[in-house]
Amino acid sequence: MSELDEFKATYFDECSELLLELEEQFAAIQSGERTPDRLNAVFRAIHSIKGGAGAFGFSALVGFAHAFETLLDHVRDGRIEMSVEVTGLCIRANDIVADFVTAARNNETLPEHFGAEEKLRFDALCAGENVADLEGELMEEFDLDFTPVRVVLKGDTEPVYEEPDADRFETLPFQAMAGHWTVGFKPHPALYARAGDPLLLFRELASLGDTHVRAMLSPMPVLAEFDAIGSYCAWEITLSSPTVTEAAIREVFEFVEGDCDLTVTELATTQPTALPTEALAPAARAADHGTTLASQSSALSDLVPPAELTQKIDPAPALPKSPVAAAPELARPSPVTEQTPAEDKPSEHKATGVQSIRVDLDKVDRVVNMVGELVITQSMLTQQMDETLRAKYQELVRGLEVLAQTTRGLQDSVMSIRAQPVKSVFSRMPRLVRELAGKTGKKIRLETVGENTEIDKTIIEQLSDPLTHMIRNSADHGIESPAKRSAAGKNETGVIRLSADQAGGNILIVVEDDGAGINRERVLSVARERGVVAPDQQLTDEQIDQLIFAPGFSTADAVSDISGRGVGMDVVLSNIKKIGGSVHVRSITGRGTRMTLRLPLTLAVLDVMLVKVSATPYVIPLSSIVETIQCSRADFGRVPSGGKVLRVRGEYVEVIDLAERFALPNEADTTNRFVVLCETDGSTKVALIVDDIIGQQQVVIKSLEENFERIEGIAGATILGDGHVALIVDVQGLKSMVTHRTAA
Amino acid sequence: MPPGVAEEGTRNMDALAIREDSLGAGLVAGQNSLQLIAFSIGEQTYGVEITTVREIRAWNGATPLPNSRDYVRGVINLRGTIVPVFDLRARFGEGRTSPTKNHVVVVMSVGEKWVGILVDAVSDILTVSRDDIHAVPDGNAVDTELLTGIITHDSRMVGLIDLHAVVLGAPTDA
Repeated sequence: MSELDEFKATYFDECSELLLELEEQFAAIQSGERTPDRLNAVFRAIHSIKGGAGAFGFSALVGFAHAFETLLDHVRDGRIEMSVEVTGLCIRANDIVADFVTAARNNETLPEHFGAEEKLRFDALCAGENVADLEGELMEEFDLDFTPVRVVLKGDTEPVYEEPDADRFETLPFQAMAGHWTVGFKPHPALYARAGDPLLLFRELASLGDTHVRAMLSPMPVLAEFDAIGSYCAWEITLSSPTVTEAAIREVFEFVEGDCDLTVTELATTQPTALPTEALAPAARAADHGTTLASQSSALSDLVPPAELTQKIDPAPALPKSPVAAAPELARPSPVTEQTPAEDKPSEHKATGVQSIRVDLDKVDRVVNMVGELVITQSMLTQQMDETLRAKYQELVRGLEVLAQTTRGLQDSVMSIRAQPVKSVFSRMPRLVRELAGKTGKKIRLETVGENTEIDKTIIEQLSDPLTHMIRNSADHGIESPAKRSAAGKNETGVIRLSADQAGGNILIVVEDDGAGINRERVLSVARERGVVAPDQQLTDEQIDQLIFAPGFSTADAVSDISGRGVGMDVVLSNIKKIGGSVHVRSITGRGTRMTLRLPLTLAVLDVMLVKVSATPYVIPLSSIVETIQCSRADFGRVPSGGKVLRVRGEYVEVIDLAERFALPNEADTTNRFVVLCETDGSTKVALIVDDIIGQQQVVIKSLEENFERIEGIAGATILGDGHVALIVDVQGLKSMVTHRTAA
Repeated sequence: MPPGVAEEGTRNMDALAIREDSLGAGLVAGQNSLQLIAFSIGEQTYGVEITTVREIRAWNGATPLPNSRDYVRGVINLRGTIVPVFDLRARFGEGRTSPTKNHVVVVMSVGEKWVGILVDAVSDILTVSRDDIHAVPDGNAVDTELLTGIITHDSRMVGLIDLHAVVLGAPTDA
């Protein structure tokens, strides 16, 4: 990848983020929050997209974004009112910008007149503004975007930047005269992190009078110790102006206050030339070394009024004092109590900007995989500890316990790196709903809840397709036309609610609509027609609802652009199953449909219970286990089909004997076996009978399909501490196997 | 690491040693030659092309898979990857092998997938000419389905295994 491509990739990443933000801001604006903050955020985002696009030569995008920006600027200035129509146009424009970005990313060319219509409307809206005004704006833009910052200082003196030559700096003489100030300026790394630029400050200073700027490079470390984002350079500026006041000088540094060590000293008329350097030295030197003195002196500059500070720091009255002696004096007037607020200041600054870095996902995944292996090794080590070893090597036991704890912490941290708010998927949906509403002529409002719920990135990526299909389904089949809705006494505007919530070890994603609900008669008749269901078979409402997930199933009267081809809902089911989740649908005729996706928090590591079924190890995900009961204490009953049911707390639960279901020889003594009560989804329970319960551990999920094929009732495999393979029981799959069998 | 590592190691070494011997033969045979790993099931010798073989390891048990065909012995852990093991004897319809530590799993790549086949022993590395491959006589469907050809080597008959057929093409309720 060339450097330019890398920059481009970064730009597109940023664009995605900005577009997400835009979507969010517009949603808020649409709901009535027309605050200047939001408008400014929108403006900034569009501006950033435009700026980058200009740099990479995406001229179509630049053109459109510029027109959009002009409109926004008018709105911001109050020249155009942010009416409903304008908001609508902006949202449409936002979609177009997204399309431009996508096209640019994929190296596609959009039709020449793409977005031209909207552009015309922008112009029409902005018309009435005089041309000069617009031109002025253009100029302004160009100034912001394209004019490089030139290193020119005002006044007749040319800027004097010393060569990075420490020796020369030490010996350099300079004249000190009346009305002369020395400004010591030592930026903290935070200043650069906040995109502060000393040059701009020096330019500002130069506007006050003649300046002489010298860089103090002595604290520069050797290259090996050099931190690229560290701050090493300090500057000393002498400013000559008969009128300037200290307050005026300090004002220049107002915005970087707290991010630098600043000293402002007025020079006495007849100081020996060497003195100013010396005078500055204590503060500067201390600052360089980051000693307490530095923090105290900066604390001082925060607390003590400038005039006082000058007196204290001014070496003139205390001329005979050596710089070192002056330093303690500096420290003294700053009591501990007063120091506290000063110390708080920088941390406040830190809190405002969340620091983040972009990391290649591959790198994170590598760490995740290694941590996964580490977890396995750790549990293997723990398994190796038998009672004799435990008694003999207590230190080892303690060490292993700490190791287990640390590993767990490490794992949680790594997982949290991969976790992302579902917002990134949810925010794609408003546009989808808008488009669907446009195509179907229905009125649909999308509500989203719990966008900040975090979930593993891989799962998020797999979520986009199923959610799209589900929302399409809701819009096309669920929500009725406005006429039908008002006839049914409902609000003309249908609501699709998209929510995310964490429930135990699972994430629940719910797509709900207040439409007509599933037409069960129709679903059943189509299912019979297609042979999905036998003609004489009786199904419960719930079973009929689940039929919509059958492959090739569609009840739409006509194949539309949106849905009806029969692919879709089965994609939802297969995608969700692939990532270890489940889908549940509930529908009330005339009231609406609710589809619930239950997803695991993470894909990489699973907390499981290790059980034995006819001498073979199996693992059951802990997240689905409700409780375990000894068979001898369980309350079983028989049903006519010959199966067993378990009565637990007044509830009858279907019993599945794993040995029987998996066609394994049943050797164990029936009384010593165990019942593992599991929950398949929100409501249904199933009781699994196993021969023995071995324990609880964490495993890394491995795919069976990678080298083999899917096996019904098995969710995957894992490698145990002893190197053997254990299969992961697919509780949900076992349950649907039952439905399948009765259906067949 | 599971037991049997040492054994696996020596077997690998053996395989390498044989490979070196036959390299010379391969050069003599030239472009038209084919190198086979020969293994036995009972008295019969079979072969697969050496380039498909990834690893040869001693039988150390496999985790059985529920509701699978009888010739699927289960899955093993190959350095963190789950690899299915097929019982070649059972695949030929001669009943399941009762494996011991002396039985061998030959791990091969078939397309994108890695699979293991359980055989009695790995016997040799053969270099044969492609011209010597005979067609499988029409007769038994099992033979024509599972073998791609027959080669005579040192007056022994060696059946060339069609890996795809062994692994994938099987009727599911066999």
